[in-house]
Amino acid sequence: MYVAALAAALAINTLVIAILRHDPWVAYKTALNDSLGSIGGFAQTLNRMTPLLLVAITFSLSRQVGLANIGMDGQIYVGGVLATGIGLSLAPAGLPAWQMVPLVLAGGAMAGAAFVLIAGVLRAAWGVSEIFTTVMLNFVAAYLVEFLCTGPWNDPTAGEAITYPIPRTAALPMLITRGGAHTGVLLACAVAVLTWGLLYRTVPGYEMRAVGANARAALIAGIGVTRVQLIALTLGGGLSGLAGAIEVAGVHERLLVGLTPGYGFMGILVAVLARYHPLVLIPVSFAFAVLVAGSDSLQRTVGFPASAVFLVQALVVIVIMVVEALRARRERYVI
Amino acid sequence: MFPDPARDYQCPDQLRCELKFGGGSPITKQPLVRLVNVWKRFGSIQALAGASLDVYPGEIHVVLGENGAGKTSLMCVLAGLYRPDQGEVLVNGQQFAVRTPADALKLGVTMVHQHFELVDNLSVWENVVLGAEGGRFALTRRRCHQAVRQLASEHGVEVDIDARVRDLPVGLQQKVEILKMLYRRARILILDEPTTFLTPQEVDTLLVTLQRLAASGLAILLVTHKLRDALRVGDRLTVMRGGRVVASLPAAGGTEELLVQWMMGEPPAAATKLLETARPAPPAPDAPVLLEVEETSTVGTHNRLRLQGISFRLRAGEIVGVAGVAGSGQRELAELLVGLLPVAAGRIRLSGVDITKLPIRDRLDRGLVLVPEDRVRDGILPGMTLAETVVLGLHRHLFPNVWYDFARAMQLGRNAIEQHAVRAPHPLIPSTYLSGGNIQKLILARAVETCRIRAEPVVVALNPSRGLDVRAVQHVHQQLRSVVGRGGAVLLVSEDLDELIGLCHHIVVLHRGQTVAEFDGPGYDRYSIGEAMLGSAA
Repeated sequence: MYVAALAAALAINTLVIAILRHDPWVAYKTALNDSLGSIGGFAQTLNRMTPLLLVAITFSLSRQVGLANIGMDGQIYVGGVLATGIGLSLAPAGLPAWQMVPLVLAGGAMAGAAFVLIAGVLRAAWGVSEIFTTVMLNFVAAYLVEFLCTGPWNDPTAGEAITYPIPRTAALPMLITRGGAHTGVLLACAVAVLTWGLLYRTVPGYEMRAVGANARAALIAGIGVTRVQLIALTLGGGLSGLAGAIEVAGVHERLLVGLTPGYGFMGILVAVLARYHPLVLIPVSFAFAVLVAGSDSLQRTVGFPASAVFLVQALVVIVIMVVEALRARRERYVI
Repeated sequence: MFPDPARDYQCPDQLRCELKFGGGSPITKQPLVRLVNVWKRFGSIQALAGASLDVYPGEIHVVLGENGAGKTSLMCVLAGLYRPDQGEVLVNGQQFAVRTPADALKLGVTMVHQHFELVDNLSVWENVVLGAEGGRFALTRRRCHQAVRQLASEHGVEVDIDARVRDLPVGLQQKVEILKMLYRRARILILDEPTTFLTPQEVDTLLVTLQRLAASGLAILLVTHKLRDALRVGDRLTVMRGGRVVASLPAAGGTEELLVQWMMGEPPAAATKLLETARPAPPAPDAPVLLEVEETSTVGTHNRLRLQGISFRLRAGEIVGVAGVAGSGQRELAELLVGLLPVAAGRIRLSGVDITKLPIRDRLDRGLVLVPEDRVRDGILPGMTLAETVVLGLHRHLFPNVWYDFARAMQLGRNAIEQHAVRAPHPLIPSTYLSGGNIQKLILARAVETCRIRAEPVVVALNPSRGLDVRAVQHVHQQLRSVVGRGGAVLLVSEDLDELIGLCHHIVVLHRGQTVAEFDGPGYDRYSIGEAMLGSAA
């Protein structure tokens, strides 16, 4: 079923490439080579996978408790901001890397958690929909980053909207030195496994899933629905903040305006396709990372518009959703 | 589409005309409509398996059967709501295609459902004409009003046609539904379980109304599982089981024992056992009071009735019933007890401890369990497994450390399947796949399990047997009795007075959010309880 779905999406995509007067064969070959076929490409894919996976876990956690946090981009940004801030302000102290890196990452995670807590508290106290607040906070964070990059932290020598670089000691250790793959992907996978353990092997995780499955039944069973939701939301926000810190400490080594090219929304697609299951998120986010890395290379080498990758993603998601809906209809039975 | 109601209204005459054609005496008269060999399948469930039914004018035809026997499905086929997979509708020996409710209306078939389809904030007459106003654009208000009044007086339906529907008690709302069908020139009136939520008084007037309508030539199809009503007014009885008609006979030939056997498909001994509602032994006079509610009231909101001066006590080993017509504050009472609704004044004590201000969790941990009214909405965890659903609420006790013990949950799930007769292949099946009866068994398994680990459990059950078949109801009652047998207490809130009378040691009547009367069993006087439910008791 899924194979058929992917084939259908691929066919449509081939058609689009042909319409754009490129050779689909060459395009696919380039894309595959630069995402999986070469060490450099594979490293790029892993680097892309890291934020995607973390963001998808964030969204899954919020869905597991019946909420929808769609402010992951904002949380990435504020995570990046605090990570950069810590990196820049601790630069004179000259701390060793084993102290610096955890500090930067923890700072990012805390910033993300605190940022989503705004939406969480508004919801807990007055029932304000977290969907609206998180989306709006995305703009707040994006403009904060723009302000910092062009204003106080701007690196005048760069001539771009980027900040001073953080010290080398704050940079993440490398996994594959040749292609520049950082160790963030290991961290992200570990987080996915831990999240699975939390959700499926602990009582707080059980309460989270119960709240998500049926908040009223959970309430009657004496579960503090609001508290559980707040915890899951904050935890998730922390992970997106961590993603922001990893992007800063692992990839760019500074803050910049395009820190997230829409990872937040891609993460939603990943999470939906993986049905919010933390372990399934790992392969799905890898597959999406391949798509993103591939389309980047297409843009660079063939001059193919990068937005075409969103087309592929959207097609894959739509086709799979239709397949799922059809199957759900067929499966529906009652004992 | 509809002609001017005031000018053209002549339903009874038309019917008499029909009768003339059909032949005079009841023995030789022709059926108005015949359903022949109807089959209908829903997924894996064969709802109808070759059911046939003849409908005669001027008769009350009672269709009996357990829930799930196919009664309602068959009626829905006749009313054009379901399309049968096979089978036909014959009118005067000719096939007639009933594909939509509009087709059915051409035949004069109308159906009053168990849950009424009325617009609450319109008046009675507006509801009656709604959808059949006649005229192109303008609502001919005066004419419609007059036509409804005339219709009501012709059929002896006593209801104030200018009253707002939401202000009427259930019994009268039902009459509005009937009036609505008559206005649409019903010749065959189907009523689906019309007596379940009525007080005895309301049942009496309904049955009299139906007899009067039948006498004027209408064919009445009364779908019910209540033998008493069936034997009281039925002219003809049809018993269904498993989607088939197992017997169809004139009412004179039916006895209660015979009908039960047909309905259950069991030998006489087993059938009477199912009918039995053995009341548990009364509690010892010195049994401790487990739950005590003293002059408690709440603040009403736009969708929650205000409770006032609620007082009752529940002793160990006792089943106390709460009677009342629907919407008298039953839901609010249950929510108040479990802690969903804050107390404005008064006091609630559980085993002597004041729980008035305690949160839900603490009340549950002290042994106060709710069997919710809406099982699907409040009871299960859709998307999660049966095992995960059955440990909900027990999980804090079962897993005292942070680890979720998968094996323990599975064990409880298996226990629910084996000992509580939840029909599921294994405990890992998603709980959404369970039917209403199985969900209820699961919720009861959970409640009983909670009772096992608490010293003095109190179960608050809200309409626990609504919509269940006889066997499932039996199971529910058995479980409630077992709670009481172990030294617990049950507060049974039900709109079905028969259930309360059969099961409770004591009945408290709720009317407009107040406890207005109390009755001691076992010798209940149905009619005085009914009076209190309607609010007319002193």
